[in-house]
This record gives sequence, C-alpha cells and structure tokens, in this order.
Amino acid sequence: MASLLKVDALTGVTTAGSISVTGEGNSTTTNLQQGLAKHWGWFDTNTSNTVRNSFNNASITDNSAGNYTVAATNAFANIYSCVGCCTGSASDPNVSGQSGAIYSSTTAATFATQDYNGSAGDADFSFLSTGDLA
Amino acid sequence: MASELRVNTLKDAAGNNSIATSFVAGGSAKAWSNYSGSGTTFRDSFNCASAVDNGTGDYSVNYTSSLVNDDYSVSVGIRLDSGANPAYNSRSVELKTFATGSIRYVGQVGGGSAGDYDHTCPQIHGDLA
Repeated sequence: MASLLKVDALTGVTTAGSISVTGEGNSTTTNLQQGLAKHWGWFDTNTSNTVRNSFNNASITDNSAGNYTVAATNAFANIYSCVGCCTGSASDPNVSGQSGAIYSSTTAATFATQDYNGSAGDADFSFLSTGDLA
Repeated sequence: MASELRVNTLKDAAGNNSIATSFVAGGSAKAWSNYSGSGTTFRDSFNCASAVDNGTGDYSVNYTSSLVNDDYSVSVGIRLDSGANPAYNSRSVELKTFATGSIRYVGQVGGGSAGDYDHTCPQIHGDLA
C-alpha cells in the first residue's frame, strides 16, 4: 500500500536525536540523523566568492590566495566532523584535485587549495561534511 | 514508547518538499569517520568499528554494519597540520580495496609517495546489507 506522511519535523521517541531507518538490503538499520549531510557548499572562488549552492552555510570568507573559511549556520557538536573537498579551476587546470580541510571550531571550516606543486591558488571548490550537530 | 512508521513518501506539513523514503535511506551516508593517520583511534565516527594502519599512509576502516555489496561510493578528505608548507601540500587518495565490511586506501603527498596525514575523513555512500 502506498503511503504519504506530511510532517515538518521528525523526532525520535526514545532518543530525540536518533531515528532508525531500514537499509536497502532490508535487514540492517542505520541511524537517520548520523547519516545525513550536515553542511555542504559549492563555491566559485576563482574569480569571486559566489555561493552557487549550499546547505546550512552562513558565509564564506576569502582569507588569502587559496585559503577560505566557511561558516555553518547550525553548529556541530564537536570539531571532528568528517569533511571532504574537491577543487577545480577552468582558468588554471593545474589547480585541481583535493583540498586540505578542517573544522577549526564547531561552526567554521578552513580550506586550502593548491596546484600540483603545492603552491596556493584560488579555485572553485565543493565540500561535504557529515558529523554530529549540536 | 518505541514505534515504527512505514511510509513511502515524506512531505512537509504544507504538502511541499516531497521526498521518497528510498531517497532518505539511499542518500544517507552509511559510514564516516575522522581520525589521525598516525593512529587508529576515531575522533568521531558513524558505523565504523575500527581503523587499521597497514603502513605509511595506508589505512583500512572496518564497518560495524556491512554494505550489501562492494560497489559503493567513497570520498576521503585528508589534511596535514604540520611539516613543510603543510596547508598546501598536494594530496590525493588511492582507493585500493573495496569490501562489504571495509575499505582500504592510501593517502599520497605530492609526487605520489605515500604519507601519513593528521586528519583522514572517509565517507561511504551505498546500500546497507
């Protein structure tokens, strides 16, 4: 039977921040909250600091060439979020690949983009973070 | 009181922003972790049982609940905190072995040599068993 649930918020009964979802193989359950992306963004930082799209992101700051800080709207519970980032530049194809990223606080992550020689360089970049929200 | 809700689609109360529950399950990360490449202790993690240091820059992460097959998506973020020009060292990751219960990968510094990192962050998307 097809079904539809209309709701604005989901909250666990036993633990507010924990809802189990049955996995695709129909036998294992996974935690809904912990599996969700909590912070992501796609930025044109090569020629400007344009936010093309984002989620739970308040702002981006251009600190220097190839060095950026992004601020999360809703804070994480700790600084140990799992963050990955990819970079690219249409004007300089050497500035591509991965970027070093780390959360310096529960609301701010810094990114360092560089060319293959290790020199800092501006690039477009996208990132995705999983972790625990406060 | 524990409860179970079986539903195919979720919408907000206004009837907008519809999403199938299959997208909720399929689109969620099934495992992630944050740990130092010089050790194997998780700073934080989800569905990760343990990390194994196989050698310089060579790591395996074992899952608590396995994936249904080894055809899943992996992205790994890595970063150095110290060393020569640490913020800008070129980085790449070689994905070596996909298994339903683990992933093995090698972090590389510029020039392709293996290196240990201060932060390694694998994220797994796929189907749970």
